[in-house]
Amino acid sequence: MTDQLTRRQLLERAAMGGAAITFPGVLAACGSSGSKASEGTTSVEQKLAKTLNFSNWTLYIDTKGQTHPSLDAFQKKTGVHVNYVEDINDNASFFGKIQGPLSRGQSIDRDIVVLTDNDRYLSLMIKKGWAERLDKSAIPNFKNLVDVQKHPNFDPDREFSLPWQSGMSGIAYNDTLTDPVLSVDDLLENPKLKGKITVLNSMGDAMTIVMLANGDDPTNVTDKAWNAAFKRIQTAVNNKQIRQFTGNDYAPILARGDLSAAMSWSGDIAQIGNKHIHWNVPEAGGALWTDNMLIPKGGNVYTASVYMNYVYDPKVQGLMTAGDPKRKIVGIYYIPPVKGAGEAAKQFNPSAANNPLIFPSASTLKKVKIFDSKALNNQKYLEQWQNLISG
Amino acid sequence: MSAVAVERARPSVLAKVWAFVRHHVLTAYSILFFVYLLLPIAVVVVFSFNNPPGKFNYTWNAFTWDNWLHWDAVPGIRSSIVLSLQIALIASIIATALGTLIALSLVRYGFRGRATTNILIFLPLSTPEIVLGASLLTLFLNMNVVFGFWTILIAHIMFCISFAVVTVKARLVGFDRHLEEAAMDLGANEWTTFRKVTLPLIAPAILAALLLCFAISIDDFVVTYFNSGSEVTFPLFVWGAARIGAPPQVNVIGTAIFVIAVTLMLINVLVQMRREKRGLA
Amino acid sequence: MSLFHRHRGLTPYLLLAPGVLFLAVFFLVPLGFLGYQSLESGNIDFGYSFTWSWSNYWDALHNYRQQFIRSLEYAGIATLLALVISYPVAYWIAFRGGRWKNLLLLFIVAPFFVTYLIRTLAWETILSDNGFVVNTLQTLHVLGPSGRLLATSTAVVTGITYNFLPFMALPLYVSLEQIDARLIEAAEDLYASKWHAFWRVTFPLSLPGVVAGTLLTFIPAAGDFINAQLLGSPDNHMIGNVIQSKFLELTDYPAAAAMSFILMAGILIAVFLYARLVGTEQLTGTAG
Repeated sequence: MTDQLTRRQLLERAAMGGAAITFPGVLAACGSSGSKASEGTTSVEQKLAKTLNFSNWTLYIDTKGQTHPSLDAFQKKTGVHVNYVEDINDNASFFGKIQGPLSRGQSIDRDIVVLTDNDRYLSLMIKKGWAERLDKSAIPNFKNLVDVQKHPNFDPDREFSLPWQSGMSGIAYNDTLTDPVLSVDDLLENPKLKGKITVLNSMGDAMTIVMLANGDDPTNVTDKAWNAAFKRIQTAVNNKQIRQFTGNDYAPILARGDLSAAMSWSGDIAQIGNKHIHWNVPEAGGALWTDNMLIPKGGNVYTASVYMNYVYDPKVQGLMTAGDPKRKIVGIYYIPPVKGAGEAAKQFNPSAANNPLIFPSASTLKKVKIFDSKALNNQKYLEQWQNLISG
Repeated sequence: MSAVAVERARPSVLAKVWAFVRHHVLTAYSILFFVYLLLPIAVVVVFSFNNPPGKFNYTWNAFTWDNWLHWDAVPGIRSSIVLSLQIALIASIIATALGTLIALSLVRYGFRGRATTNILIFLPLSTPEIVLGASLLTLFLNMNVVFGFWTILIAHIMFCISFAVVTVKARLVGFDRHLEEAAMDLGANEWTTFRKVTLPLIAPAILAALLLCFAISIDDFVVTYFNSGSEVTFPLFVWGAARIGAPPQVNVIGTAIFVIAVTLMLINVLVQMRREKRGLA
Repeated sequence: MSLFHRHRGLTPYLLLAPGVLFLAVFFLVPLGFLGYQSLESGNIDFGYSFTWSWSNYWDALHNYRQQFIRSLEYAGIATLLALVISYPVAYWIAFRGGRWKNLLLLFIVAPFFVTYLIRTLAWETILSDNGFVVNTLQTLHVLGPSGRLLATSTAVVTGITYNFLPFMALPLYVSLEQIDARLIEAAEDLYASKWHAFWRVTFPLSLPGVVAGTLLTFIPAAGDFINAQLLGSPDNHMIGNVIQSKFLELTDYPAAAAMSFILMAGILIAVFLYARLVGTEQLTGTAG
């Protein structure tokens, strides 16, 4: 079935003429080095391109000085040079930029982009047919994907996307300025914290956390649950409890002591380097977000899939995530989506391997939820949210 | 001796002090102004020597020369600043040139479409950056161009022209045309008059326009973001890096540009001083 | 020989041509696309289509009146502040700067070399709740004991003012520097006080610079969003923030486009009224 679909897609593209010409390696028979024999019976031509254009978030890959060891190793193994560009710093603006060409059927000259699942854009790309189907036959390591990521509601069979790294959203507090802030009740309603807290401007994160505190289910949002959580946050805005809605710009404010507590992301807090700032999953639960790799329309499916297979090798992932201080490799320090990465990391960087923010325990993972992607696309909710955070 | 003469022979100490203050208050104020203006730069410079406690360079930890020694240790930072400087230089020169021509035409000639042109100049200034960037992107998509250096350059020239026009106009509006008239009465043709009389007299305005355009270009984010393809300019790099903690090298580069620019200016001033001395000698 | 040429052949058009053509292609055409978009309706899921949707304009005016007004307000205050703060310095550089003029001008634009985000972060450090500045203001009872400077409308306006200082200062300087110092001397001989001389002679001569600076500050400041985003609370947000969110988060491109045109219209009206106030010659330069 899948073969027929891909074949039909190919023919459709050929008929579109213009769009077909932009495919870098699929149809053109350029002699690329290291081409593999075709595996399986897919009609996606299984020839490796010379270059892989990979757009990612800034500082979101392993580094050693000026280089990225995992990318160099990939090139050594397959002969494919990765043209790595760090031009994504926000889902909304990146989508705003690429929707222009994509809506015209033009390629954006990228093979892999990375978008987060707690924003509408990931599911939008898939819904609008702007993402290519992965070549699963080239990704045997797919089996290493952690179970909790196997059937997200924006891509139930993982046909278009694969996780890159995950992170958690919770509450951080400064112990020199306040007693531990461990719950939403404290954050939003404790008068001692008035004007000294911030809430994330990401609807997915903030609403997940508040809904959980209300005892509702954020993975399946109902109007009633939405309204209850929304009202709670709105009250906190009106009585000036909330100082600002922030993206990651809570970090400098927290670091210099202008905030007692902040709704924040797990990875950032360890990196502030201040022993007095602690991060926790809120009592009632927190949010889990995952950055996903996507192949945008016009990208080289085979080469991108081969790359994805490479990073799903537990050893590769372990090194990428945790780094290796002995070899001066700095890791990503977010949560890897690959089974066995934790074990592999132990041989490279034991202290990172034991860091519960990078390799959280099963019990922690149970307490973090992924926001309902249907709600993320609900225009009414979105407008309400934007009006709230934008006065 | 008349009473008045006696008065004038004994200026009070207070009067002297007051005269001193009045003479220097402007200078004192200006110094304060520059302190205010450059205060954040001072903070940036200081933190360029910081060894950050974690990945974030927000709190002072320890002094280190490392960031300066390894100023391009962060991948991508060097190419981003080189690109930004190239674009800023070229865009400011072209925008100022085009803007000066427009300003000359607007101020000195009455012609059909003058009012419309004036409005045309104000429009880019009033367009919010995000729709400006996105609409330009639409144009480029329809033209089927490759995104990168040239699209960024075109975008920068586009929004800088207006600034150049208004700045040079401020000079031309009060310009004393009699000087040009005198030159022409003495036998110079229009082009020579322009070159030898007009241009030197509006040079400060052209320099100001250049500086302004350069500053706008090197700091632009939104319009550049939409039209850069996969090129990364310095502001784009900083905004991206700030998400996980802008490295101190960002401070180093900002400081370095400032220092280099000031040094170049200083050399210029000193060279001129030398020339003047030789002229008198 | 007439100093102000009325329709003298092709010269004005030749001078205009390169710049205007450039703007026509790279600004007016995109503006046309934007106009078309402002009359579309639809959504990102099912696409947009042109439906002469004037309701986009009406809705924008109706729902976001507050933010429009606030933007013009903030921009206006910031412009006034910038004028008052920059004028003395522009004067000082023009008349006392001597050979250091260009260097001083460089210092004025220097903050732009470190990118907006970094200099704003530096300001946030300086104006921190626990910092020297806030503590001093609290001691002087300018601020209440739990008062703060950041995340307030004051911070937003101050941020805008600071970031637009070069746009005010440079045009002011350009105009002042042109004034012959002997004129000022003569004026001071004529008038009883230096202050009088300034108001009667110097200031009017510098009016072109004042007008230029005000325009270059007010117009872009009205559409600014970044200062409100980083330095403000939700109730300080400007129309620029709304347009930003309409475009990016709500993918409501028609609404963003319509709002932009309303903003532009509002700004043009303000400029028109301003031109009436100072006399159009200053604005468009018909003064010979």
